[in-house]
Amino acid sequence: MFNKTLISCVALASFCFSAMAEEIPVTGNVASKCVVTQDTAGVFGNPDASTLSTRPQDGGIHPVVRYDVVQASYYMARITAPDSFSESPNLTDTVIWNNIVSVDQVSDATMSAYDTNKVAYENITEIDLTVAGSTWFKIQSTADYGYDKALPGGTYQATVTAECIAI
Amino acid sequence: MRYIMLLIMLGICGQTAFAHEFLPTYPRLQLSYVPGVLHTEMELFNKREDIQYYEFSVWTEDWKRVPFATTDKIQQIGYLEKKRIDIYIREKDKHRAVYICSKSKRLKADETRTTIASRICSKIKD
Repeated sequence: MFNKTLISCVALASFCFSAMAEEIPVTGNVASKCVVTQDTAGVFGNPDASTLSTRPQDGGIHPVVRYDVVQASYYMARITAPDSFSESPNLTDTVIWNNIVSVDQVSDATMSAYDTNKVAYENITEIDLTVAGSTWFKIQSTADYGYDKALPGGTYQATVTAECIAI
Repeated sequence: MRYIMLLIMLGICGQTAFAHEFLPTYPRLQLSYVPGVLHTEMELFNKREDIQYYEFSVWTEDWKRVPFATTDKIQQIGYLEKKRIDIYIREKDKHRAVYICSKSKRLKADETRTTIASRICSKIKD
């Protein structure tokens, strides 16, 4: 008697679980969004006593930032290249910065037009993200200290700000 | 072929992803439980292993600050943590407030390199 009841319970339970397992809703929603990804943190090379540069031929590494947009024409990328060090020894002379922001890699060939359509002013570059997908931007940055003046020894750090602004 | 390339590229990059995500793109202000104060809810997903803190701000169309209230203007959000952020704006500021932004904040570090600060701004819809 007990065994029959137990078997019935197990059978009923397994039926219920199998019935529950039959319908698993999978829902999704595609919404406009922008994801900013730090692809490569740059490194300053020191090709001569007065210069710090992210150019590979100067021993540096360009910082690279990736923008992923799910839908086209919803966001603008604004990249602010450094115009000062966020961390450095005490500098008594001026530092002249030269920055170039350019497209590095694209997931869609039409994104290469971003290089011609970008708007650059001061140390800021703005690009309308008119194609859905991923775009990698590299920031080439060179800092020259004084008039051929040697940079004091110490730690130097600069910050690139990568913004994604809804339009 | 193009999609295969995209998947391969995303797969390679996914291994070293340091991403910042802030949603929704177009938040709407709604009445809150406090009279004269509007509320919206944002969500931040921190996929940047190197970042633990994010700062929140509200701006006008021409990038002037708008007063707002939230739990903390700088909040600690761990790696792979998703956090909901409540933003409260005075009703009288609702036409001035256009952008809600989140910006990564880095701790001071002893490294000779450039770092990337990420900022994502959502646009408030009327």
